[in-house]
Amino acid sequence: MNILIVEDTKELAVELIDYLSKSGYICKWAATCESALEEAEVNQYDAMLLDLGLPDGSGFDVLKSVRKAKSKMAVIVITARGELDDKINGLELGADDYLTKPFALTELGARLYAVIRRIHGFAVNELDVHGFKIQLQDYKVSFKENPIALTKKEFDIFQYLVLNKNRVITRLQLTEHVWGDVLEVSSDSNFIDVHVRNLRKKLDKHASIEWFETVRNVGYRIIS
Amino acid sequence: MKLKHKISIFSAVIRLLLLAIMWFTLSFVIKKVAYKNIESSMIEKRDKFVKNLNTSEINAFIERNDSTELYVSFSNLHSEFLQLYRSKAKAAKQKDYFVDEPRVVEKEQNEYRVLYHHFTYKNTDYVLEIGERLSEVNELLEKFHLVILLLLTVTLILSHFAQSFFIDYLLRPFQKIIDKKINLINEPELFDHSKVHTTTSDFILLDNGLNEMMNRIQEQFKKEKQFIANVSHELLTPISILQNRLENLLNNESINDEGIDKIAVSLRNLDTLKRIINNLLLISRIENNQYSNFEAIDFAVLISDLLRDLEDRIEIKQLQVSSTIQHHFLFEGNKTLLHILFYNILFNAIKFTPDGGSVSISDSFQNDRYAIAISDTGKGMTEAQLSQIFNRFMKINLEDEGQGLGLAIVSSIATLHKIEIQVVSEVGIGTTFTLYFPKS
Repeated sequence: MNILIVEDTKELAVELIDYLSKSGYICKWAATCESALEEAEVNQYDAMLLDLGLPDGSGFDVLKSVRKAKSKMAVIVITARGELDDKINGLELGADDYLTKPFALTELGARLYAVIRRIHGFAVNELDVHGFKIQLQDYKVSFKENPIALTKKEFDIFQYLVLNKNRVITRLQLTEHVWGDVLEVSSDSNFIDVHVRNLRKKLDKHASIEWFETVRNVGYRIIS
Repeated sequence: MKLKHKISIFSAVIRLLLLAIMWFTLSFVIKKVAYKNIESSMIEKRDKFVKNLNTSEINAFIERNDSTELYVSFSNLHSEFLQLYRSKAKAAKQKDYFVDEPRVVEKEQNEYRVLYHHFTYKNTDYVLEIGERLSEVNELLEKFHLVILLLLTVTLILSHFAQSFFIDYLLRPFQKIIDKKINLINEPELFDHSKVHTTTSDFILLDNGLNEMMNRIQEQFKKEKQFIANVSHELLTPISILQNRLENLLNNESINDEGIDKIAVSLRNLDTLKRIINNLLLISRIENNQYSNFEAIDFAVLISDLLRDLEDRIEIKQLQVSSTIQHHFLFEGNKTLLHILFYNILFNAIKFTPDGGSVSISDSFQNDRYAIAISDTGKGMTEAQLSQIFNRFMKINLEDEGQGLGLAIVSSIATLHKIEIQVVSEVGIGTTFTLYFPKS
């Protein structure tokens, strides 16, 4: 998968590239509207991460040009808070998703996966982790054809951890993913622990899950 | 009361008073003039009578010598009379005087103006009375009064209309300033800068002053908006870099467990910083009127959505939650902000209520105002704590892990929507937040 990262802050672009490359994406970086448009024209990209505040114009102009060219490219808009009144505005302008800075890289990974899947066809409908099958479309998990009844939040957590497998996911990242931008996170970590405990109990009934690790004081990781 | 009505009432009272004074004065003067006329004609008659008085006449009087010793003469229509009789008092000491008296003349009683004249003729003292009937004069005076009253009333009514029109005309620019400018002072973006046409210098001053003031406020608003945008970008970009770098570092295999712990703690600190900035920016943005898209809100749906979001917390804490939103109150508000407002209040209610406690949400109409009450059986607050809960960075207890901005945000959102919040709390028993919505 080819990703075009349009971001004028180099240090941020470096971290994005670092994360996305490790997740198996091939990344190209553009720092201005002009170079972004040039890149989009010359090469084929599956998705674009688009920062709105660019030195030579607004990312919206890039978005408009890209959409005019009828390119089948997934676009995730990245903005500082306050540049848009609300999410609807960003989506109305033709973006497929919308993230406000600062965001967790793992959240970006999950959103990117979902968007690419949606835009480029549902080629992958199932994730497999040690025999457990996650059906992405109907939010179901099964083990050897035996369905496992998970709550919506347990499913969200499981899917998020699997999509970011082999990475440590902090409680904070999980909390933000499950509840969005809530009031306070510290007191929520306990709630995450309760959900993870329940999820593990349900999975553990079917097979050993030593691959579902707890990283002490930090969070969780699924090894695969 | 409006200025124009006050002026109208004041001037109406003044005019009524003036007209009353004029009416009384005119009546008085006319009466005086009429009496003066009568009196001078009576004095003329007296002089004529006294001058023509001769011995024979007196003798005729004396010769008649009847018991009353009166000499009386009347005109045909009894409009005047003359009466002569002997006086017991000394004539020289008596001055002439006028009196209003009723007299019976041939069985007919009438009001007369009577002149008493004392004189001495051939060593005998006499009193001469000359009377002039007053009824004609009074009738005339009455007619006069009526005419004056009529004239004054017409003047009063005409002047009232003229003045109302004039006041209205004069104050029209002022009314315009109020309708188009003062009433919109809370929405600086909608302010109409066009000048109000008037030749009244005070209104020109007022209008210019207002325009200038609003220009400055708009300028400040714009600057603040710019500042907020700058802060968002300039503060959140470095946080963004740091957060993502630490996240990548967390998965660097060369880092040991202790390092991972420290990175996780740093990420938490960074998250706190991000939340403080975001919440402060949210408050600033609300106060900067950046949330202008209002839409119809269905509180029943809003609250049931929120309860679904908070479902797992409620379950884990084994709380009894009841929500009875039964009135379909129509309210226009910003959905995002009202969501945050109810979320923060409910979140606190759940957070501060011990396991097994209860939270209830209900609505009602109190004095025609729609109200939603959120009650919990939590630990409650003292009076001193209550007075501070809406202040920024206020935490009720030190173990509280929040940043103390939740209720400050609630307060800003409530102010924007003109919602009044009342909090009643008792330590150990619970807290009730009641939101009073403005009348639609």
